[in-house]
Amino acid sequence: MTHSLHRRGDYESLKEDFVVLGCPATGVNKVGSAPKTQNFLSICYKHGPVNLGDMKTGNIYNTTMDDILASVTDGTIVQCTFDNRDKIVDLMKELKERRPGISVIISGVTDVVQQCMYEADLGPIHSLEYSLGTWGKTERLPGYAVLKLLTMCGHAMIAADLVGKMVRDVKRGRRTIRSCVVELAQCCTCGNFNLTRGEKIFQEVLSTYMVRSLY
Amino acid sequence: MKADIDKCIACKRCFAYCPMGRIQIFHRHEKIPGRIFIEIDQDACTDCGMCLRANICPVNALYQEVADWPREIRGILSNPLIEFKGSQVPGRGTEEMKTNDVKGSFLPGEVGVGVELGRPGVGAYFRDVEIVAMALMGANIGYKLADENPVTHFMSDKTTGKLRDEVLGEKATSAIIEGKCKLEKLPEALKALQGAAEKVDTVFTVEVITKVTPEGAVPIKAVLEKAGFWYSINSKNNLGLGLPAFDFYGS
Repeated sequence: MTHSLHRRGDYESLKEDFVVLGCPATGVNKVGSAPKTQNFLSICYKHGPVNLGDMKTGNIYNTTMDDILASVTDGTIVQCTFDNRDKIVDLMKELKERRPGISVIISGVTDVVQQCMYEADLGPIHSLEYSLGTWGKTERLPGYAVLKLLTMCGHAMIAADLVGKMVRDVKRGRRTIRSCVVELAQCCTCGNFNLTRGEKIFQEVLSTYMVRSLY
Repeated sequence: MKADIDKCIACKRCFAYCPMGRIQIFHRHEKIPGRIFIEIDQDACTDCGMCLRANICPVNALYQEVADWPREIRGILSNPLIEFKGSQVPGRGTEEMKTNDVKGSFLPGEVGVGVELGRPGVGAYFRDVEIVAMALMGANIGYKLADENPVTHFMSDKTTGKLRDEVLGEKATSAIIEGKCKLEKLPEALKALQGAAEKVDTVFTVEVITKVTPEGAVPIKAVLEKAGFWYSINSKNNLGLGLPAFDFYGS
């Protein structure tokens, strides 16, 4: 799964965008992992994520934190999205201290994540995964600004046409940007959508995106 | 996904939610005078369930049939709520580097190479997945496929990357090929993918995984830079907090 890896954007756009995953390992610590995952989730929640969820249950914009916690079983992978570097450092410090036992992965700008780890006294990154970009028929992709929004859902559940419809609705005064990004977050069930970043990108899209008749 | 022709009123509200774009066709109802309904193009639809989850249909016309093989693989790979039993992981791939700290899936000197076809918003037919898989396996670089990956399960020949014939016409929102090879073979693997990129009728993202050294060096960086491949400023990073920790260096 690479669903938090291919987020598009420049340094300024990505520097305050972090997806934190808690993942038990099949065949190693998956059996009996539910309380560890719940503990991990509770620690993350305390540090004020902008989104949080589990793929199968949904995120805090689809359901409640209590429901997400109660639905955790052995093997559940949970995700929390943060929009603030300082919160990540504090979270890392607490995870180091309380060490839930499942694997913890953070997607973000590599240099920023590494610096946060040094500040939390966690040392170097253990293993990392780079994106080498999108290859093939890239002319079939939507424009870059829209792509920045779409790639915040790694399962590609946010439709480009939905963004176009929302832009039209906002321009016509039918909706607010906030209500649009909340709905985009609902489409991404895992909880990877960063609403703070989403609002900024939506603002950019709004000023540059020409809405044609959709259908 | 299908729309019940006796319920659908062709209001078009579901159109915008389809990650595959505009895949609906209008029809005139033969028995209800004046009624227009939509038919969802079953070849283009990946059964991801997004339109249904959006709960946008005012007449509850959308429904998902239980699909038989091979169509069922559309939902398995496209609907994030469905878990592939082979990997025991919800989603389209495996645990890959996420649990490297406890499983040691990627050792020093090895590099994980993953290719995800179809994302975002384009989708991928398995005939294109096969092109990429066969390019990687045909490069003779010792590329070892991840056994628990769904795409690996759909192969008829894991030594060549050939997929089962019956799945080639199926389509997924995205499908991932995962595996690993020796670090020194990475440039050859990427060259094989460059060749495949010219043949497929979709997009694919490429990702590479490495164990970082205890000193903080990233072994693949120099290889990528020397071979002239762009890599992103953002990455997925395992913090090494999982327990029990895998012993990478025989300490």
